[in-house]
Amino acid sequence: MMPQLRSTSIILGLAPIVLVIALWQGLVSFGFAPAVLLPPPGYVFSRLLQQLLTWTFQQEIAATLIRLFAGFAIAVVLGVSIGIAAAANPAINAVVRPIVRVLAPLPKVALYPALLLLLGFGHGSKITLVAADALFPILLSTYYGASTVEQKLIWSAMAAGTPRYEILFKVVLPAAMPSILTGCRIGLVISCIVVFLAEMITSSDGLGHVLVTAARTFQAVDMFVPLITISLLGLILNGLLGAVRAYLLRGFPEA
Amino acid sequence: MISLAALARRAAPVLACIGLLAIWQAASLALKNDSFPTAIEAIRAIPDILGDKESLINILASLRRMAVGFGIAVSVSIPLGLLMGRSRAVAAFFNPLLMVIYPVPKAALMPIIMLWLGVGDITKTLVIFLGVSLPVIYHSFEGAKAVEEKMLWSGAAMGLSPAQRLVRIVLPAALPEILTGCRTGLVLALITMITSEMIARQSGAGNILFNALDMGQYDTVFAMIIIVGAMGICLDAIFERVRARLVRWSEPQFDMPLSFS
Repeated sequence: MMPQLRSTSIILGLAPIVLVIALWQGLVSFGFAPAVLLPPPGYVFSRLLQQLLTWTFQQEIAATLIRLFAGFAIAVVLGVSIGIAAAANPAINAVVRPIVRVLAPLPKVALYPALLLLLGFGHGSKITLVAADALFPILLSTYYGASTVEQKLIWSAMAAGTPRYEILFKVVLPAAMPSILTGCRIGLVISCIVVFLAEMITSSDGLGHVLVTAARTFQAVDMFVPLITISLLGLILNGLLGAVRAYLLRGFPEA
Repeated sequence: MISLAALARRAAPVLACIGLLAIWQAASLALKNDSFPTAIEAIRAIPDILGDKESLINILASLRRMAVGFGIAVSVSIPLGLLMGRSRAVAAFFNPLLMVIYPVPKAALMPIIMLWLGVGDITKTLVIFLGVSLPVIYHSFEGAKAVEEKMLWSGAAMGLSPAQRLVRIVLPAALPEILTGCRTGLVLALITMITSEMIARQSGAGNILFNALDMGQYDTVFAMIIIVGAMGICLDAIFERVRARLVRWSEPQFDMPLSFS
């Protein structure tokens, strides 16, 4: 894209965000919404900065992040290995495919009460829920990526004398990488959302819990702070994954 | 005459359900945990819930909110997504805003919206609307972007106005992708519905679930999980039927849901 074009599109893209904030400010300052219900944006952001510097709030973020990463890591390991196994082996495929068809459209939050009963109210139940929710996008995109690997590539590798098990790591995995990373990206956003919701439903710490506590005491400002924090976290993690993607996919034609 | 292989393929999901229930039964027998009833106990509790008038009304009210939220979201998001796909200015305008909104848990907006609009139907429907919109917008956008330029040029040459081109060329061409988005949206609608009811705890299916948990009626908890799960699977299967019919002309797709963004 030409530099001039890019700068116009950045300005155009910032416009609605600025508009939303202006509308927000307008609603408050012209008295359409009382500040108790809708605190002015400047107040919310200064509160956010102030909170980010406190030790307690950092601990809440850490609790959320631990659950998010643990769940997401489990989902990546399970999703990629099951996805590749199902694509490589027809017998595994025949077992996995119907199970995935049944489990994928099932709303995983509904399992949360069961997980609470089985694993308790601590990290375990939340990590499992995050993993269960993030698993399927990763598994499915790994499966599609691995099953659409060009047969010619595999044949060439075999002709060059690569042993069968090494083909998996040297041909199939790299060729499926773009698709796997797309799945990971979807899974990551889902992890952010789910960890927050799980903490809102029952928890004693974490960002979701901060929101619920604020809601119970009608502190509107403190309700916005964790929400903004989780979306910032989502954007930062998404950016990091983008960097990982750019590194892993260097040399791919269109990445 | 259905061949044996086709029969096996059709029966596979049912077998998978039975297999999962069997694993559950075995696990609960092995654990002997009071709060983990066996699959059979949970299934036995289902008729009690569906027979109870109040919980039936609650579940139906949930489904109604879901349908309304989903309907409004689809009718707003598809035109917006198509416009974004066809006009670079519109896309540049909305994309960053959508990117910022994307990682916000929609059901988490529940407490804030509750402050403004109360705990009624409007709040819950609005939250479902927000949850469904994004994937539908995104998929319509991708679908409209991939429409072949040549078809649009031919349409323009034959004297179609831009609005007509959008309805008569872009919409059908993007339909497979749009329907993929709607399918994701449908599952998300159910998820958002349950979550928002778990958070607001006033009525609906999510509320029955957690009330039973609080009162220690564990078989009801697990029975509700089965009911909600079955709703998800049935909605998805019905939608898949409709989709297959609408886009019969397009290339055969994978029969597993591809995207859950």
